[in-house]
Amino acid sequence: MEVIAQTTVNALYASSYTALMAVGLALIFGVMGIINFAHGNLFMVGAYAVWWLYAVNGWPFFLAVAGAIMVVGAIGLLMERMLFRPMRDNPLGGLIMSVGVLFILEVLAVFFGLGLMKHVPPIYPGSVVIFGIPGATIPWQRLVVIGAAVLLLGTLWAFLRQTRLGWALRACAQDREAAALQGIPINKFALLAMGLGAALAGAAGGVMAPIVQVDPYIGHKMIVTAFIVIIVGGIGSLEGAVLAAILYAFFHTWVTTYIGGGIATTLGLVLMLVVLVVRPTGLLGTAERG
Amino acid sequence: MRNGITRRRFIGTTAAGVALVGTSLPRTSFGAEKTLKIGFLAPLTGEVAGWGLPGLNGLEIWADEINAGGGIQAGGDTYMVELVPYDDEYLADKALRGAKKLVLEDGVGLIMMLGGSDAPAAVDFFTKNKVVSSTLLPSDLTDETLYHMAPCEVHPIYNVTGVEWLAENRPELKTAAICAQDDELGRPSVATYLAAFEAAGIEVVYQEFFAIDTVDFAPVITSMLATKPDILCLDTAYPDFVNFLTEQAFLQGFDGQIISCTFDFYPAVIEKVGTEFVEGFVFQFPDFDDPALNEPHINFPNPNGFFTAYEERYPGTWSAVSWEYAAIAVQWKAAVEKAGSVDPMAVFEAMKAGGRAPHVFGDANWWGTELFGIDNALVGDWPVVQIQNGKAVIVEYKSIIDWWAKHKDLMIKHFEALGEMWYQRKA
Repeated sequence: MEVIAQTTVNALYASSYTALMAVGLALIFGVMGIINFAHGNLFMVGAYAVWWLYAVNGWPFFLAVAGAIMVVGAIGLLMERMLFRPMRDNPLGGLIMSVGVLFILEVLAVFFGLGLMKHVPPIYPGSVVIFGIPGATIPWQRLVVIGAAVLLLGTLWAFLRQTRLGWALRACAQDREAAALQGIPINKFALLAMGLGAALAGAAGGVMAPIVQVDPYIGHKMIVTAFIVIIVGGIGSLEGAVLAAILYAFFHTWVTTYIGGGIATTLGLVLMLVVLVVRPTGLLGTAERG
Repeated sequence: MRNGITRRRFIGTTAAGVALVGTSLPRTSFGAEKTLKIGFLAPLTGEVAGWGLPGLNGLEIWADEINAGGGIQAGGDTYMVELVPYDDEYLADKALRGAKKLVLEDGVGLIMMLGGSDAPAAVDFFTKNKVVSSTLLPSDLTDETLYHMAPCEVHPIYNVTGVEWLAENRPELKTAAICAQDDELGRPSVATYLAAFEAAGIEVVYQEFFAIDTVDFAPVITSMLATKPDILCLDTAYPDFVNFLTEQAFLQGFDGQIISCTFDFYPAVIEKVGTEFVEGFVFQFPDFDDPALNEPHINFPNPNGFFTAYEERYPGTWSAVSWEYAAIAVQWKAAVEKAGSVDPMAVFEAMKAGGRAPHVFGDANWWGTELFGIDNALVGDWPVVQIQNGKAVIVEYKSIIDWWAKHKDLMIKHFEALGEMWYQRKA
């Protein structure tokens, strides 16, 4: 019983950070049509920002996370304005630009002597017993990650569903040309999407900094899972990304616990292939027109 | 048509991007122009950097001391030492590229490697070109690696000493759970721990490999703790992995014994889990301020002073390898002086002459034919280290050779079961 409870909690945590990463990636792709390979390294920059602000300079943790969100969001805005916008009609060019950014961010981290893992102390050490089961616990820092994911994704959902800006952003995601014909300024909304998507990656990196390896290569691990999730969820679908993040995280965590960690990622890829065979558009994706 | 990209194109371009990401970046190397060059071919970035970069740091301290003392004397000449590092990121293709650069462009006389995943192609190149190289992992060795030697660390076979010590000092521990990443570091180490636990009469109730790309270690620990082990064995997991696994064991309420090959950067872990949790943690790599390193059989000049210099120059980065490459350099310098020559083959022969040589932890034998296919591993005693009051302390030096004499069949059995015997690796 305690193993089942612990595994469920582990999976909830994994769902949270996976969703934060995948939704940002899906948002950028949906609005801009850009496959942002640098998304994982935006996560890395967010983690480094919290390390530097919180662990090195003693800022309050949540202020440091806000700083990470702003820094990474600003990098996202720069990427859109300087790199992705000129490539808007050239998806392959955009992809290559994003790979370039990926390497630049990585090399910058190494160049500044940040090669070895940085240790970030948790804001709340220790863990709490869950469901009254003594052997099942959840660390406070993981509760922070789950809470941040619920808060940020809930806010994003409300923004997209209940504000005029959000409607316009969704319109851009559904059909950019039609949105432009309705007078929606595509450039502004591409900038907004990139800023929001990057900020979500920065937030994920920031809140997870005490839990993950803060090193120049952590982004590689994060991006692979995020791509699997947005493909399973339906490319460009934010709701699909959240659903697939939960599905994938639960699947991966349960396989790791009950079968073995060595095979979990492989079986995750098999899961992706099965979903694509059964439903080629992904769980909540829509068929392409034309 | 929606925003200019189809799902098929997305998947296609994503695959292209993955391929692009998979390519490696060239990294710069550095070094001053001196007379006698030592190549350093190891991961300076990436997940295994904790077993590369701190080693280069220690080697630089050694080289600076040698040069400040007037260099190395051989054959009537004086040689200043120049280090030529190359970051192979623990990738085999980069290691081969680095090997060629160090040999063909830089003309180094010795190449030091970590060994393991990055080694095979580079070592093959060394053998064909008669280049002398060293490894920390004699599991690189076969009967064909004629000039590749393990004169310091004999990973993973010294891990038997930790288990043996634990069995002698905590006989109430009866079960163990082992995990490791699935690679050239993890597999032979698991085989060694399986043999050591069997020899000690400790039942292994769990043994699994996890993926190298693991982000979250909570499920791994959940799975291990489900078997209710007395001992958590973290094997030779990468330095960062050991830290996360230890933290997860703490957070999930484990209150038993932990044993691991290494426990690098342990002060940072103690910050997270407290001194009490890691009290008694057993591993194999001492801090060099340990008084037990001042014993007369230790073949390393002023270990406590070396540790102080290291901490002053590279604070917070001391790891298992901080002293190891420097220790190899100490042996190599002695062999240069003994040979009266800097010719690599002459130095190599001087190092191996007589089948016995000064190892950092006492005089030892060139050994390994049965397990590694060649007697190129310098094997003798190895320290067992324990965390006591938040500090690494050597609790005993134990003999690897003595253990082997009693239990070698077990070691060979488990190495064979995991395909790690030298003839299996060759195939």
